[in-house]
Amino acid sequence: MSIDKIQDLQQRLDSIREGGGKDRIAKQHKAGKLTARERINLLMDEGSFVELDAFVKHRCTEFDMKDTDAPAEGVVTGYGTVEGRLVYAYAQDFTVVGGSLGEMHAKKICKVLDLAMKMGAPVVGINDSGGARIQEGVDALSGYGQIFYRNTIASGVIPQISVIMGPCAGGAVYSPALTDFIFMVEKTSQMFITGPQVIKAVTGEEVSSEALGGAMTHNSISGVAHFISQNEEICIAEIKRLLSYLPSNNLETAPVFEVSDDLNRIEEALNTIIPENSNKPYDMKDIIAALVDNGEYMEVQPYYAQNIITAFARLNGASIGIIANQPKVLAGCLDINASDKAGRFIRTCDAFNIPILNLIDVPGFLPGTNQEYGGIIRHGAKMLYAYSEATVPIVNVITRKAYGGAYLAMCSKDLGADMVFAWPSAEIAVMGPEGAANIIFKKDIETAENPAQARSEKIQEYKDRFATPYVAASRGFVDDVIEPATTRQRLISAFDMLSSKRETRPSKKHGNLPV
Amino acid sequence: MRKFIINVNGNSYEVEVEEVRDGAAAPTPAPKAAVAVTQAPKSAPAAAPAAKPAAAAPVSVPAGGASVNAPMPGTILRVDVTVGQAVKKGQVLCILEAMKMENEIMAPSDGTVASVAVHQGDSVNTGQVLVVLG
Repeated sequence: MSIDKIQDLQQRLDSIREGGGKDRIAKQHKAGKLTARERINLLMDEGSFVELDAFVKHRCTEFDMKDTDAPAEGVVTGYGTVEGRLVYAYAQDFTVVGGSLGEMHAKKICKVLDLAMKMGAPVVGINDSGGARIQEGVDALSGYGQIFYRNTIASGVIPQISVIMGPCAGGAVYSPALTDFIFMVEKTSQMFITGPQVIKAVTGEEVSSEALGGAMTHNSISGVAHFISQNEEICIAEIKRLLSYLPSNNLETAPVFEVSDDLNRIEEALNTIIPENSNKPYDMKDIIAALVDNGEYMEVQPYYAQNIITAFARLNGASIGIIANQPKVLAGCLDINASDKAGRFIRTCDAFNIPILNLIDVPGFLPGTNQEYGGIIRHGAKMLYAYSEATVPIVNVITRKAYGGAYLAMCSKDLGADMVFAWPSAEIAVMGPEGAANIIFKKDIETAENPAQARSEKIQEYKDRFATPYVAASRGFVDDVIEPATTRQRLISAFDMLSSKRETRPSKKHGNLPV
Repeated sequence: MRKFIINVNGNSYEVEVEEVRDGAAAPTPAPKAAVAVTQAPKSAPAAAPAAKPAAAAPVSVPAGGASVNAPMPGTILRVDVTVGQAVKKGQVLCILEAMKMENEIMAPSDGTVASVAVHQGDSVNTGQVLVVLG
């Protein structure tokens, strides 16, 4: 082989790696954005990334496309390792035809998704695209369809992580929406079905694209996204952190890390963390930090439905998913958004063999017409469904209130919790003392000389008898009442015992989750 | 305070009902006798009441001000700030008792209290303005 041919290869590769050229790259950097290749190199272990399909070209000859050169078809695809584990990735290149998606661009993404499914490894998709390449017409549309289909087939098989690092508009949003997690970056990423111009033309509303579909909008209002970062470097570090909690596929368990934290650590502070008066709030995050390894946990959707906390953490070095009521927000009530947030998280944990820890202090479902009209019945049902369906180990700790249907929705023993611990401060009953006393002692209160006094006496009577963990424990609905300080060692022992749990369900095509 | 329209023998009465909590009579305005407001025929019992319920005076939010709204329906147990007071982000503005929990309503950002729209003992609904920060 002549040396010319090798030089020719080198030249071709150099020109492809330059993407849209120096000017466009400078523009990308000026906007606070990295290029597609810089992003992938930051994600992967140094030197581990192997690019695929760099020479792929589009086949479009319509309009201006026959003269348009699109290096690597506007998307960098391939595989590499993250902390030594195989990960597939693709990153749309905004400097090449605006990262627009055409037939061959989509084919490159599909190839990576197919490989990831066969090999059982996570996929990280970095979105930065103006949308469909209109010149390619229905071929571009078909490209989206093929990606959506693969996202769905891969769901629950391999972790799929979507990263929005630029615009992601119109139909394109549905690929991220079908995946497990969405990361967004402040100020530079937007997602929406219809943009500000269309909204203005149709409804007359004026809204900026950041307010309409920016990172905080989707992290706090819509609940579409799961994580928000200040810049792209932090975002990529967070993706790596998330991957450390996840297995590579649904047949494996998450990697176990060496623990520097004492397994038998006694946390005296937990004995006094629950206020004397059950009407006083406290911060559930203090309890989470006290229980998990080194106090470290990664909250999922930290700005959305803050009345429920969903987080990944480790106990004895192994991943767990935590679902916890937050008494500080909305009294810790379950509502529509909290049900959706928790339901989704439970299914994510179950799909990827991550045991679940429930920290329960729930007074009930949030009352109100907007909740009922919004369909709290069908949204709340998702939590019940997701817990009942889950076969991973589930351990409950009831710190305080566990009332009525809301306790069932937090996975009572009956819905499949394997171990239920209660703190002595637990109040487990069919409903709150006030409501219960009003019903049970209706006649006594009505006929009393002083109804108000009789009522408060009866409430106290009910409280003393039933607002404790011991009635539930006497029926076996609670496995043990424990001293709060010992919770960490009790949890580690319980999850260790449950690690060999196997549970089979009747075979079926799939259940019918109330979506 | 809740309003009901009650039909008795074809006469429609608009009635205001207030719940008395724990024997402590809430500060009520002079008790109103049931006043017949409409003589609506039975077939249309839901005819619009003549007098529109006096909505709580809308609180205007000054330009650049942030209103702190009730996250859920409940009763104001305590108001911790006064007009003109400087507050820090996360400082408790008032306590809203709801779902048997004394919910701390906190300042979303640093600022000065421009107005306080509620008093101790008030019942509030979801979204109602509690405090406006300037």
